[in-house]
Amino acid sequence: MTTRSWWRHGESYRMSRLRTKNSPLYIGGIGNDTNTDNELSRQWLVHTALDALEERLASNNSNTTGANTNNTRTDLRDLYLGLLYSTDTHKIYGYVTNTRIKLVLVTSSTSPSGSNIRDAEVRTALRRLHALYADAICNPFHLPGDQITSLKFDKQVKNLMLNNV
Amino acid sequence: MSFTPRSLATNVISMRSSVSYILSHAPGESVMSHPDYGQHAQHHACLLVLVKGIGGMLKNFNKLWERIQKVNNIKVTDSSGQVRDIWVRYVRDYPVENNDWGDFQTHRRLLGLITLSKFTNQIELNEVCRVHESLKVKYTNTLYDSRAFMFGPISKKPEQEPETYSIFEDDKTSKESSSLGEKFSLPSDQADSLSSAESYPHSSSSTTSLPIQEENYTTPSNFKTHAMFYSENDPVTDLEQNVADLINSLFWVVESKRLERSREKIEKVSLLLAPFEKKDFVGLDMESRNNKKRCMGRVTKNLADLTLQSGLIADSLNLYHNAAEILKAVNDWLWLAAAKEGLCAASAILLYPNLRNPTPLQRNASLQESSPNKTKPLSLFQPNIDPFKKYKLPSSPLRSSKTSSPVNPPSELTPSSSESLETSSRQSETDNADTESLASSSDIEYQSQKSFYMSDHPSIPRQPSQINNQYLLNGEEIAEKYRKAIIHYSKYQNAGIIETEACFKAARIAVEQNNSLHASSFLQNVIFINLTLSEQEKIQRFDTLAELYKEIGFLRKAAFCQRLAATRQVSPNNPNPDWQRCYYLMLHSFPGHRLSLDPNYVIQHQVGWPALQIQLLQELVVAARRMGHPALATRHMTFLLQTMWPHLSRQEHRDLAIQLQALSAQCEGGPVPLVLETGEVIPPANLTHVPRCSAFLPRPPPSPRAPHMLKCKPQQGPFIFTPIHFGSLERKARKDEGKMEYLWVEDDICEVQMKLTNPLPFELKVSNMRLLTSGVVFESIPETIILPPDSPTTVNLHGTPKEVGELQVLGYSTHTLGVKSNCRLKNMPTPNKFLPSYTIEVIPSLPTITIETSVAPSGSVSLSSLENVGSTTNITLYNGESTECTMRITNTSNVPIEYLDIAIQSNMDSQLQSKVFQLSNEDIQAQLPIPPNESATVTMKLYGEADFLDLGGVGGENLFPNSLTSNYPSRVGSPVPNVQSSLPTQSSNAQTSLSSGLIPNRTSGSFRSSNSHTTSWSAPISVMPPSRGRQVEAQVIIRYSGGSGKEVHCRQSTLQINLELLPSMSITHWDVLPAEIPSQLYLVLDVTNLTSEEMDFHYTPSKHILIESKESCRVPVPLDRCPFNLTSRTNEESNSEDMLECKSTVTGSSVTSVEELCSAHVTEHVSLSWQLLHSETRGKASVKGITLSQAMIDIVRMSPLNWEVSVNKQCIKPQEELNCTAGECLSLGVGVWNHLRRPLRQLCLSVQFYQDYNNGVHTYKLDNRLATAGNNKIVLASLPESSKAYHECTVVFLTPGEYKIDIQCSTTEPVLEDIPVIGDTDHPSIIQPCPGEVSHVWRFIPPVAISVTD
Repeated sequence: MTTRSWWRHGESYRMSRLRTKNSPLYIGGIGNDTNTDNELSRQWLVHTALDALEERLASNNSNTTGANTNNTRTDLRDLYLGLLYSTDTHKIYGYVTNTRIKLVLVTSSTSPSGSNIRDAEVRTALRRLHALYADAICNPFHLPGDQITSLKFDKQVKNLMLNNV
Repeated sequence: MSFTPRSLATNVISMRSSVSYILSHAPGESVMSHPDYGQHAQHHACLLVLVKGIGGMLKNFNKLWERIQKVNNIKVTDSSGQVRDIWVRYVRDYPVENNDWGDFQTHRRLLGLITLSKFTNQIELNEVCRVHESLKVKYTNTLYDSRAFMFGPISKKPEQEPETYSIFEDDKTSKESSSLGEKFSLPSDQADSLSSAESYPHSSSSTTSLPIQEENYTTPSNFKTHAMFYSENDPVTDLEQNVADLINSLFWVVESKRLERSREKIEKVSLLLAPFEKKDFVGLDMESRNNKKRCMGRVTKNLADLTLQSGLIADSLNLYHNAAEILKAVNDWLWLAAAKEGLCAASAILLYPNLRNPTPLQRNASLQESSPNKTKPLSLFQPNIDPFKKYKLPSSPLRSSKTSSPVNPPSELTPSSSESLETSSRQSETDNADTESLASSSDIEYQSQKSFYMSDHPSIPRQPSQINNQYLLNGEEIAEKYRKAIIHYSKYQNAGIIETEACFKAARIAVEQNNSLHASSFLQNVIFINLTLSEQEKIQRFDTLAELYKEIGFLRKAAFCQRLAATRQVSPNNPNPDWQRCYYLMLHSFPGHRLSLDPNYVIQHQVGWPALQIQLLQELVVAARRMGHPALATRHMTFLLQTMWPHLSRQEHRDLAIQLQALSAQCEGGPVPLVLETGEVIPPANLTHVPRCSAFLPRPPPSPRAPHMLKCKPQQGPFIFTPIHFGSLERKARKDEGKMEYLWVEDDICEVQMKLTNPLPFELKVSNMRLLTSGVVFESIPETIILPPDSPTTVNLHGTPKEVGELQVLGYSTHTLGVKSNCRLKNMPTPNKFLPSYTIEVIPSLPTITIETSVAPSGSVSLSSLENVGSTTNITLYNGESTECTMRITNTSNVPIEYLDIAIQSNMDSQLQSKVFQLSNEDIQAQLPIPPNESATVTMKLYGEADFLDLGGVGGENLFPNSLTSNYPSRVGSPVPNVQSSLPTQSSNAQTSLSSGLIPNRTSGSFRSSNSHTTSWSAPISVMPPSRGRQVEAQVIIRYSGGSGKEVHCRQSTLQINLELLPSMSITHWDVLPAEIPSQLYLVLDVTNLTSEEMDFHYTPSKHILIESKESCRVPVPLDRCPFNLTSRTNEESNSEDMLECKSTVTGSSVTSVEELCSAHVTEHVSLSWQLLHSETRGKASVKGITLSQAMIDIVRMSPLNWEVSVNKQCIKPQEELNCTAGECLSLGVGVWNHLRRPLRQLCLSVQFYQDYNNGVHTYKLDNRLATAGNNKIVLASLPESSKAYHECTVVFLTPGEYKIDIQCSTTEPVLEDIPVIGDTDHPSIIQPCPGEVSHVWRFIPPVAISVTD
């Protein structure tokens, strides 16, 4: 199996109502494994990763509120949450925007070259994805909270992943 | 199974060591294969007691079990007077294999046994005893003591002799058996040292000797257990006592073992082994330095375990630490891990004392979450302490000298104080003991000895509150140590279960620390541990994982694990799939998937991951079906369709709908909550998407059935429409939301209109559609429809309200795809926003009627109007014809009609309308009330009111009048006074002109102005000539009511009557002619038959004429002249004298009124009727609205002057022919009476002779034909009223011929009264053409005709 990057992109927070929607906004991926069963299992994977993500968010928040303001500043900048958890086959990385849009990146645990995926790579990839997402929802016809169906976005995301791989 | 190496250091998450299995052997040998997922760190300090129910099922077993569980902590004062906190863990089942790990971790040893048994007879009793004994044998390696609670039919308790223990002996026994039972030969010297001089009976039969006294039943002789007998329903008040007793005894065994272990010579200790290690050390040199240290480390660890169990936590910390140090040095990873774990456990116990306080942590799969008293604190036991205190512990051989109460009541001594007091003594004692034992072991290595000392001395903080032990780990360290321990464990494949359990324990501590991420990482690790487990255990593992995840709030993970567990339950590998448990696991994973059982909640919030939710729901459906609960399957499938509708594709919609149909074929879905065996309630799921409702609106009743207010509301303001709402606009709007403006009627069919769409690609049958209502009783009529795919269909649902009041329409119910749904508007899917309910007021029932109409003369025209639909009656009438229309009103309801009001509305003005339609209100009222199913008849008369005077002949003026008028030359010269006002007055016009009545007479003004030329030849003022037909549309509005609501509401039926008025005849021209008799005149009419039939026209009672179709005919109607006094009398309240003296304007009106009077006179006295010969139609006609010119009026009116004309003193009679001969002298006398009530002035009386050539030419130049003597013209200055003037002259005709004499009297005066005398006498005013002066000419008619012969 070639390296498969698999993005999940979702978890919009509706701040106005203070309730999480936690439903996927966009799911996309590259790789040769398009089996629906695997697809579903990956979705389970991402779904369960949300727990860890939220927990990390919460702990971050408590840290920042309790700690000094320096921390807050850095925390505000650091939207990247790092590795959420890994399984035998996949690694799951998290990223949360300031508007609590959660970006989750799933990669296979091993890259074909054998080298581990570096943290920095993932970080930049997620940052770029964030930028793409921001572009995508700038579309005035997009309703926040709806699934993103833009073909352009899809293409761009896939490009991004291919380049990173 | 290839685990790639992952860096341990960098990645904290992965704890799996890649060096795993380095030291492990082939699996399958003596591997502990029964993980206990319920373990907690604090269980390291617990004594393990098995509680088993044997024999017949005790009905209060669970209760007893709970009571036993509460006795999980007792305080024992040890030999040094120190109070020990002893904790107990009770299990209901314990695999023997795990017992084998008792050396590795002593808390795994099963120390006690409690059996609860029931027997009814001796045989059963024997069996129970046998089972108890066999259990003892089963755990014989570790078991120290046991109790048997027996519930039998005996009422009297057997006497209980105090048990005599030989605990030490027992201890030895078990110890020996534990070490030797495996037939594993230890080094002989060690064995010798352990098996000290005491002899041990090898069987457990010697453990207790209890004489059992019974009356009827005797226990078998080999039953040597402390047994308590109760009757079945005994409250067993001393249960706690007995259990505490057992624990107490267990404690002493453990304590003794601890002491013994601590006193062991360190160089003599045998190597303790984990079960799987046994082969590893075969043939190894045990005497090597390394192995010695290994032995020592392991023993120290063992001692630490025992110390922990016996309640000396602080001591155990040191021991653990020491053991870890030693073991680390010899790379004994497994035991190092155990030591570290022990250290963590001990630290955790000290740090988090409340970990052990809430008792719930006894989690057995069999009673998950079900025990309600989980959180009950230990103190529950304390009330029982007092009796317990009195209970004297049977003397134990060893401790007999020491006076020890087994339990220190907390009230007496707070643990801190007592312990601190006792610390010193205990310390010294233990120190003594230790030094003693240590000293005796001469060749102990200094290092270890030192560590022993070091560990022992400075430690021992007895107060848990004051934790300052140097080895006490803080929270972070516990996690770190645990992590390391787990990594070490992971190196051994055979220690997988230990590792798993360690993970769980660590996770539980992390939960306690509130560090979810740590907890999750520990739990995550569990997944990676590769164990060969039975399916059941795997399921249990996931279950426990799920529970812990739940605890740390990782609901999604929990759900994931639950789902995995569920799939395991039914996986093909599972020999006995359990669909039921699978189902429940799935069901309980709902919260993690952000699903709720309530479909409305799911729809409203739309949270979670649809793809996964769909998957889960589908699996749930399968599980429910396989479980054999089709109702649930149907319910969940409905739920799936309902909640996930927007996320499903069209194909999925179709597939799922078909599946649902198949499922519901087994069990129909209904809108009732389903209650599961666990007490959970599955709320109903209603299909609102199938069919989709896009519009829902209650309809007002159809117009004939609609109730109306009996009395109209007073108008709000002067405006028909105003945007300003008086009062508060906003409040009203809010209040009335969903409130319908119309009313529904009790017992009357009401209707709600819906628009339904079938979103499925196949034909959908929806049956039993009803309305859901609240409020008053409503009887809904079920409806069945078949919806084609994807085409909106309008459906009307009907029902009948059965009460009066407010009715709320909440939605509708359907039965489709085999599922009954109650679709409430408030729960409708979002795209269509419906009001949550519609409120409609229901008023008391009102009657209904049917109306049949029949038109009288032609009885064939009979229209029956059923169902009150506004029906139309068409009636054709000729102008002037009249007919009768009969309406038969039948009450078709059960309510009598008590109010009936018939009104007619038409496009005519009301006066005309009242002439065309005539109704008798009294007649209607007399027939009320109309009881049910009876009828009343109302007769309405119709008359074809019309204006018969036709203006159509305006253009043809010349045809007829000229010839008439030319006879009267004087008329030409007589100007008509006040042309304008001589026209028909507006009032008469409005009143009489039918055609103008159609519209408020606006055009008449313009008409009048252009009408001046007609005045000379009067023509009717009529907008529409009667020659054309007209349509009259009239509605008969029948308002009726009855019953209790009759005061307020009524129903209204309308009956449309289209009345077609056909032209019958018209009078195109008219004139008046003087008749032969002065008192009469002829009204000459040009009558046209406008029908297509021959008409018999009656113009006097005796005279009639036949007029062909479309022909016209001139008829003279003899008429009495309008009597002058009548004229003056009826002149509105002022006599003509006054009138004449009035100003010109008044005079004008007086002239008008005179004309009016004449017109009325003519109208009154002319009675015309016609008959169509063919169709036998009869009708009347009138000349109403006839206008008369001044000249005509003079004829119509009686002359104010009476003439007496005499020739040769002989009065001339009318129509008399006078003859004379030429040359004869005729004396012509003219007498004039003034009948006016005023004197006439400036009266000019003239006599003129002329010859009428009868061709329209009159010759007045008769100078050579006759000669007159005397004035032929005199002016009378004044003619007083009722007086007579007489003038006489003589005439001689010179030549024969026909002569006529025109005698006339003219006055200049009446019009302009102001001019008194303007040249009265000498000014012959006649000549004056001044129209203002000559206003009236009276003529003697007919003119006197004289034929002169020779």
